[in-house]
Amino acid sequence: MIRCCPMADWLTRDALDRLSDGIVITVGLTAITTVLALLLGGLLASARQSRSRGVRRASGAFVDVFRNVPALVLIIFFAFAVPTVVPQSRRTGLFFDNWLWDALNEMTGIPIPYYAVAATVALVANTGAHLAEVIRGGLSTVPSEEIESARLLGAGRLRVWRSVAFPGALRSSFPAVSSRLVHNMKNTALASLVAVPELFHSMQGEIARSFRATEFLTLVALVYLGLAAVFSMTLERVETHLLRGRRG
Amino acid sequence: MDDLTFVWQSLPELLVGFPGHRPGGILLSLVLAVSSAATGMVLAVVLGSMSASTSRVLRVPATTYVWIIRGVPLILLLLLVHNVSSPTTLLGTQGSPTRSALIALSLYSTAYFADPIRAGLRSVPPQLIEDAALLGSRRSHTLIHVRLPFALRSMFPGLTTQAVTIFKDTSVVVIIGVADLTTNAQLVLGADVANSERWIPLYLAVGSLYFVTALALTKAASVWELRLTRSRSPIDLRTV
Repeated sequence: MIRCCPMADWLTRDALDRLSDGIVITVGLTAITTVLALLLGGLLASARQSRSRGVRRASGAFVDVFRNVPALVLIIFFAFAVPTVVPQSRRTGLFFDNWLWDALNEMTGIPIPYYAVAATVALVANTGAHLAEVIRGGLSTVPSEEIESARLLGAGRLRVWRSVAFPGALRSSFPAVSSRLVHNMKNTALASLVAVPELFHSMQGEIARSFRATEFLTLVALVYLGLAAVFSMTLERVETHLLRGRRG
Repeated sequence: MDDLTFVWQSLPELLVGFPGHRPGGILLSLVLAVSSAATGMVLAVVLGSMSASTSRVLRVPATTYVWIIRGVPLILLLLLVHNVSSPTTLLGTQGSPTRSALIALSLYSTAYFADPIRAGLRSVPPQLIEDAALLGSRRSHTLIHVRLPFALRSMFPGLTTQAVTIFKDTSVVVIIGVADLTTNAQLVLGADVANSERWIPLYLAVGSLYFVTALALTKAASVWELRLTRSRSPIDLRTV
């Protein structure tokens, strides 16, 4: 075995490679769920202020349900329970073995892409619901004069929402949004329970191979700390960008 | 109908656990959440006071602790605690998954409670602290009798939201096999392929149990908060 570092005989080059593959998936999963959850959160937050009572009720119910069920239960539900809706004979062809999943498998290297998609859906629904609450709080801080002036200047409802209300809400709720997004990044580790080969999953593989649990757990904890630090710094930059876009 | 009967028959396992392994199910989830939130709250008052302190020696260890715990997934913290602590005897208890879960969840909630408490301590009007000093109160006395009650009250909604979050987060104990609601759901379903029709109804039941309990806890917290604000304030701001 080729060793990576002379001091650590447990950290072989192969182990390091497999862990890096996991990091790539963790980062990818974080990126996709962050963007989608922000969109869903913004959409739900504005839906809760809709003039239609039905839309308000439905979005409120969605937020309540997906905030109050643990992310892990959602992930297991979407990954393991949802395919059982389809009869056994058609299940494999629909969820696991067709050209679409094969292509996804080819592209990402994830053995069972459906589980990754299910985990993404679960994380987006959970984080989106949490963000909706936070952004809704932010929306209430956007001065109504700002929205009225934009309307007076001839901007359509969608335009007002996109360029005035949503950025304003995001700006004032940014610290809470940012901490929720970092939480979401850590929640991607839960996808390991449905066999998504992200960092936590690759770590478990290495522990099973080498029996060096404490070493790998500490190393991966440090990696997550680093990822969290980099991610929150990135979010901070996005925030200053948002602020600059406003003042400039 | 058969599926509903199955869910109905599994309800005892989901609510209180398998016979001989009680408390389990959602009862155990609640026990884990309440006991670790309580431990975490006590430790967080200390940690929050430390991180709101002007002394670097107190502040740096506290903020570092919070930063580390908040930067690591709970599931990883849980495995790490289980790995390190299970061979040891602590306070006369042998290592067990449940003990590891309690330790990890307490460490976790400490970090998540400490931040709102620190923010709350910062939000105490300086006038109040100066007045207390003028009246001859020592700094430790001011912290315990003026600043902490003020901070805890202003941060109450944030702290209860966090406590409900900890209840939901207990679901990750499935990874070390603590027989909580999530684990028992998997045990009830087992590896039998013929059971596959039962996954949806059973997980809908599991989700509903978490949902109803979390909602009830939130409701209870807001009732408690209302009673707190209605009752006599420890610091009557009108007289300040």
